Amino acid sequence: MKKKLLSILLTTAMVATLLAGCGSKAAEPAPAAEATEAPAAEEAPAAEAAEPAAEAVTLKWAIWDKDTTPYWQALVDAYQTANPNVTIEMVDLGSTDYMTVLATELSGSGSDFDVVTVKDVPGYATLVQKNTIIALDDYISGAGIDLSQYAGATDQVTVDGKLYELPFRNDFWVLFYNKDLFDAAGKAYPTNDMTFDEYDALAREMTDTTFGSQVYGAHYHTWRSAVQLFGVLDGKHTILDGQYDFFKPYYDMVLNEEADGVCRKYTDLKTEELHYSAAFSGGDVAMMNMGSWFIATMISQLKDGGEYDPALCGNWGIVKYPHADGVEAGSTLGTITGLAVTSASAQQDAAFDFVNWVSGAEGAKVMAETGNFPAIMTDEVANIITSLEGFPADAESKEALNVSNLYLEVPYAENVSEINSVLDSYHGSIMSGEMTVDEGIAAMNDEVGKILEK
Amino acid sequence: MENVKQISEEKKNKIQEMQRELDLLIRAIGDERDPVQKRKMSVRVDTLHRNISHLKSGKLMSREGKRDLVAYSFIAPNFIGFAVFTLIPIIFAFALAFLQWDGSNPVQFAGLDNFKELWTDTFFRAALKNTIIYCIGTVPLTMIASLGLAIILNQKVFGRGVFRTLSFFPYVASLVAVTAVWKMLFHPSKGPINNVLYTIFKVPAESLPQWFTGSLVVLSMILFSVWKYMGYYMVIYLAGLQGISSELYEAGSLDGAGTWQKFRYITWPQLRSTTFFVVVMLTINCFKVYDIAIMLAGGGSGELTPSGTVLVYYIYQKAFIDWKLGYSSAVAMVLFVMVLLVTILQFRGQAKYEKGEA
Amino acid sequence: MKSAKRKAVLSKTLVYILLIIIAACMLIPFLWMFSAAIKPDREVFRMDPFVFIPADPKWDNYLKIWTKIPFFQFVKNTVFLTIVVTCLQLLTSSFAAYSFAKLHFKYRNGLFLAYIATIAMPWQVYMVPQFIMMRGFGLNDKLTAIICLQAFSAFGVFMMKQFYEDIPDDLCEAARIDGMNEYQIYARIMLPLSKPALSTLTIFTFVATWNDYLGPLIYLKTEAKKTIQLGLKMFISQYSSDYGLIMAGSILSLIPVLIVFLCLQKYFVEGVASSGIKG
Repeated sequence: MKKKLLSILLTTAMVATLLAGCGSKAAEPAPAAEATEAPAAEEAPAAEAAEPAAEAVTLKWAIWDKDTTPYWQALVDAYQTANPNVTIEMVDLGSTDYMTVLATELSGSGSDFDVVTVKDVPGYATLVQKNTIIALDDYISGAGIDLSQYAGATDQVTVDGKLYELPFRNDFWVLFYNKDLFDAAGKAYPTNDMTFDEYDALAREMTDTTFGSQVYGAHYHTWRSAVQLFGVLDGKHTILDGQYDFFKPYYDMVLNEEADGVCRKYTDLKTEELHYSAAFSGGDVAMMNMGSWFIATMISQLKDGGEYDPALCGNWGIVKYPHADGVEAGSTLGTITGLAVTSASAQQDAAFDFVNWVSGAEGAKVMAETGNFPAIMTDEVANIITSLEGFPADAESKEALNVSNLYLEVPYAENVSEINSVLDSYHGSIMSGEMTVDEGIAAMNDEVGKILEK
Repeated sequence: MENVKQISEEKKNKIQEMQRELDLLIRAIGDERDPVQKRKMSVRVDTLHRNISHLKSGKLMSREGKRDLVAYSFIAPNFIGFAVFTLIPIIFAFALAFLQWDGSNPVQFAGLDNFKELWTDTFFRAALKNTIIYCIGTVPLTMIASLGLAIILNQKVFGRGVFRTLSFFPYVASLVAVTAVWKMLFHPSKGPINNVLYTIFKVPAESLPQWFTGSLVVLSMILFSVWKYMGYYMVIYLAGLQGISSELYEAGSLDGAGTWQKFRYITWPQLRSTTFFVVVMLTINCFKVYDIAIMLAGGGSGELTPSGTVLVYYIYQKAFIDWKLGYSSAVAMVLFVMVLLVTILQFRGQAKYEKGEA
Repeated sequence: MKSAKRKAVLSKTLVYILLIIIAACMLIPFLWMFSAAIKPDREVFRMDPFVFIPADPKWDNYLKIWTKIPFFQFVKNTVFLTIVVTCLQLLTSSFAAYSFAKLHFKYRNGLFLAYIATIAMPWQVYMVPQFIMMRGFGLNDKLTAIICLQAFSAFGVFMMKQFYEDIPDDLCEAARIDGMNEYQIYARIMLPLSKPALSTLTIFTFVATWNDYLGPLIYLKTEAKKTIQLGLKMFISQYSSDYGLIMAGSILSLIPVLIVFLCLQKYFVEGVASSGIKG
């Protein structure tokens, strides 16, 4: 009797597997066919586009946090005004598990999204490897887009010579500081040209450990980017190396600062889940390294009706990232947010038109007007941002936006998401004291080495 | 018309055949000495009798068939939904452990590669170790705590309803909120627990326990789980305790049994199937621990270090971050086999106990 | 005699002390939640001095949550889902459990093992195949998807079966001799006897559906279909450090579950015990 049941189960399993196999086999040729068809298909709708206001098109676009992120709606409104026959339907997948939900949604072959926002490079790698988004090269050359306007960012996400997304937002890291604290301590503000030693010394000078009137000279958020990635700024190393001994001086610097009370303890931050914005707006942090997205937050939260208290953090400024000895100032980390067209979309031409618009000059203007950094940085765009009400008035802060070298936090690699997980994990081990810096780095070398060997 | 005739012809033949066998048997039964054989034969006689009368009366189905059909009709509404929405995907997940799949591209056969890779995987081993330690700590503690609570709250105590409701509080509250509270209480530098250790027990500041990192993570998880789920299993035990007749206790009192003896000889044996249920569910839920680890040890970004990682977290990560569905299924198989072993052991234990009692 | 009495009083006192300690352990976090809900963010983690009600309590957090996110819509969806799932779950699993506990049929053990085995399987493992299948049925972004997912769980069958097994077989046999068929036995004898088990299952299913997060996250995308937990989480990611509002939302979402618990908990006391059939 048991045998019979087992055989039934096995048969069912086999049938299911077969079915699934057939399903995916049937689905398999589709992307390939689409890829070859794409250039051919391009001509037909191109002809269609020649007859304006022809068909009504509805595009489905995956985004996150619609209510708190003003630029989604602004982009849609502007695009729809320019293209009255197109309706963009936004689907909010929430930001916490955005890439997971999106990748699940695009699994198999039945999704109905046309355009998807790609939040980070590991997520991008996943979508590319799953064949769920299409290579845009034909479209890019067809539309005559000059990729040099993205200042090298697109090179770092090119896969086997093909590009699958166009960036529309590009954030880079700067050093935020609280002018009031520097004034009170009678110290000079940080400058746009500081070495790490100078930065460390300044942070220590600013620190006040007196109970009740504590001032932290520096603050490092719990992300690994906030500490590890000081190491890649000299341009000699990347996080895909598999050898991470170059992290050591920066871990040592931050851990020593932590031991001397210069910055908040990592374990405390983890336990409280203290948000970096709460830390900086609390008025007891002198300097904090953070992405340029925080500029928009500061501006909007310090306005009337915002959550921050101007008496605590209203007088703030930004300067360029510190740099290693002998390296030119202005190198920093970047994070791009891109748009991609799905392979399941039936309206890839219309979808690309939208992607092209958002990531192009017009989209860039809309982004800048909402206080965000578009992927195309022109003087006009920079002017829009620096002249926003609430942006620090000093010349140094304006100059801080001039980036000479931009290194992506994570460039593309085949196993980037696994490497990322390993580095994240051991970053936690080192910072919480579960491992010494040397042990942690050795473990990173071992584990990433294993992944790279595969 | 022809058909019907044929069927009835067949029937007649069958009846005759059975009648012949029956006659033979009845004759043989008288001569048989071996009692076991004899019993077997008489059972066969019964069956033949019944089958013949069924055929004669034209009833198409045997009693067993009808009985099975009734039983299946009870199961069907649940089973159909269960089979379609759970069983089929699970069978597919089984197959996945031997495949390579990223959720979109065609499936590739991987044989045992996924399982071989597990051996050398540092993170898998850490996750396995943590999960097992967590289970060993949580299962007995929660069981004892919930049983104790249920026994106390089954007695006539003042404000029983209030206490019951309070014990159920942690289970119903959203995990986000209660973990936030726990983290405050166990905060490494500002929490009241460490404060007490520092001021009363004079533990030096640098050796105060870091509750959410290193080797203490799993201990925090165990304590938290016992607290959160004790009310849940208490409810199951309470329902079980209600099933025990008060006459048993009265009889016990007459025999002069004390509190402990009553528990040992009445409550405990009577709660047998409840305990079985509780232990199986606890084991399963412990092996499946995931969000507690994330919320307690993950902190904001939700990454777990090797000292706090657990199997389901690793399964999730492999499946939804790295999209190696085959590999993640292989990890799940390990978890599954462990849970199944524990469950079968429990099953055996229960069956033995029942037999022994009978 | 006197010493026995003293002993009884002593043990009673001990029991109460124990109970009060336990109750405090259970209650403190909720008092803290309540207090955090009306505090400004920076004061949430402040320990010395700890104040229960801050000088400037932000009571409006309880109102704000209804306007900042469509909380009412979330409540409506969650209530609908929870009620449908709980009803279906109770009906189908008590039905199936009766069969597993009291009837003998072919493949009984095998089928039951299949049920238990699936409980052991973490959902994350078969989430993707399941999602692809559900989308094939056209259930993506439909509340029905969550109902299908939750209503036929193996857990309910397992639990009800364990309870039914404790009801003596003689009762069913007697009913059969009286000429009742199995459906009548189920409806007239088993159901009334299993009130405690049914109310336990109700609470468990209710809480599980009410607090479920991952299921709705994967299946429900349109804002108009989202549930409370999804809404709260969405809220946390958007107002990342606004503990006050999160706590206020959590407390509000706790109330319905507590009401259900209070309504049902008296059945743990009545039921089997009062009918006195066990043993």
